[in-house]
Amino acid sequence: MNCSEFDENLALYLHDELPAEQRQDFETHLAACAQCSDRLEETRRLHRVLGERPAPEPSPELLVQCREALEEALDRELSGVGWKTLLNHWSSALGALSPFPVAAALTLVMFGFSLGWTLRTRPAGIRPATSEESLVSPGDIDLNNFRINNISEVASGHKNGDVRITVNAEREMILEGSLDDSRIRQVLIDAVTGYDNPGIRRDSMEVLRRHANNPNVRPALLYAIQNDANPGVRLDALEAVQGMEWNPEVRQALLNSLDHEKNQGVRVAAIDVLTDHADQATLPALERLAANDSNRYVRMKAVSAIRKLQGE
Amino acid sequence: MKDETSDSVMDGCLTLEGNIPAQGSPLARENEGVLIRRAQAGDRAAFDALVRLYDQHVLRLVLKVVQSPEEARDLYQEAFLKIYRSLARFRFEARFSTWLYRVVMNVCFDHLRKQKTRDEAQAPGANENEANFFNGVADGQPSRDPERALRSGEIRRRIERALTRLGPRERMVFELRHFQGLKLRAIGELCGTSEETAKNSLFRATQKLRLELSDLV
Repeated sequence: MNCSEFDENLALYLHDELPAEQRQDFETHLAACAQCSDRLEETRRLHRVLGERPAPEPSPELLVQCREALEEALDRELSGVGWKTLLNHWSSALGALSPFPVAAALTLVMFGFSLGWTLRTRPAGIRPATSEESLVSPGDIDLNNFRINNISEVASGHKNGDVRITVNAEREMILEGSLDDSRIRQVLIDAVTGYDNPGIRRDSMEVLRRHANNPNVRPALLYAIQNDANPGVRLDALEAVQGMEWNPEVRQALLNSLDHEKNQGVRVAAIDVLTDHADQATLPALERLAANDSNRYVRMKAVSAIRKLQGE
Repeated sequence: MKDETSDSVMDGCLTLEGNIPAQGSPLARENEGVLIRRAQAGDRAAFDALVRLYDQHVLRLVLKVVQSPEEARDLYQEAFLKIYRSLARFRFEARFSTWLYRVVMNVCFDHLRKQKTRDEAQAPGANENEANFFNGVADGQPSRDPERALRSGEIRRRIERALTRLGPRERMVFELRHFQGLKLRAIGELCGTSEETAKNSLFRATQKLRLELSDLV
């Protein structure tokens, strides 16, 4: 073995990966070559330096965060698959929407599962979505007498802010109308506060946040902050609150949320909202968090919010 | 059909402390097989159970690769989503653990490639992730010697910078061999390459690190 071969095998030798016969050659050369011996010692020192690198162990909090985030991503994945399948199935119906001047703002697709949603409509207003006739406006039917079985997707529109709803009640159909229509809004409010699919709740909220100050919409968003089972939905609700007019009702909802919120990411987001509004009445709650919260980052955020509140 | 080669590779790894563990006992493997089949049939609870079998090890691995809890969380999620999407294509021809970690390795590779491209496009600066790093890892003993802590911090930064300058494959091979103790043969298996390629990567990585950190050794 010459010096060049020695150098090539050095890392393997130190990592105990050199086959026995080569190892013997390596050690024979090592005993005879001072330069290569220095090289070996230099590499050993390099390994000692690399030993200064910390070996981070994931904290239990990080593992929990990862699991929660994965759960939400899988939820979205599952709703996404349903949506794609539905889109394929209803491609003809969706294609039929393009000639209409009213742009889609919402799509509610309802399958044949029973959830017991009751709206009212004239049965004659329900048309199959597989034909062009599936497109109806809320004015054509009585939404208050209309049983909705399932929602698989809510999506924002892209043209003039009006609403398109694809539904399946007794049968699949598409509704189209304005978000200003209180009946459409109520469908979304009901979705935010009572629907079991978190993806639908988030999509509904995404649309409703444009009307965050509406007296019917606001309680739904505040309800979601405090009660939704999914931390992702609670985060979205907090974002929606940022566009809301600040008042004691909003403040109380945030404080209630902070009192029992288990997810540290959501607690941080709630503190951010409180910080933005610089409301002195939130000081005691922030002080409690700064002193007692189980998460160091949340405590830091609370301290930072208190300083901002105190004008430091 | 069981892949004996894969088994022997992973079993070899298990003798080393700090290795990526497979779910080793025959009973565990039998249960794992049931879970895989149920998950392949769309049973979400079965998939969750599979995640729970491996996710702590996966998180530990990705955290060592990226050293940042935020990035580790992203890689964890990306890896398990890929596993979820491709689980139907798992045919029991290799051990599930080998297949799973190969997916994780690919996600790490992609991340390191993107990171290298990004780093090359940006001027080097302070490690912005450092402040957040300690929020996501278990608390250790506080340093009682500030001067030593400062020096250690500087050395760590230098090491991280040197590691980020390695090629993605060099980095992965070095991480897995030097810091995780996997045998090169197992690394080749996980990374979908030969033991010889892994050897070359280890050699190049060592050469580069020696140059980068020459003033520290």
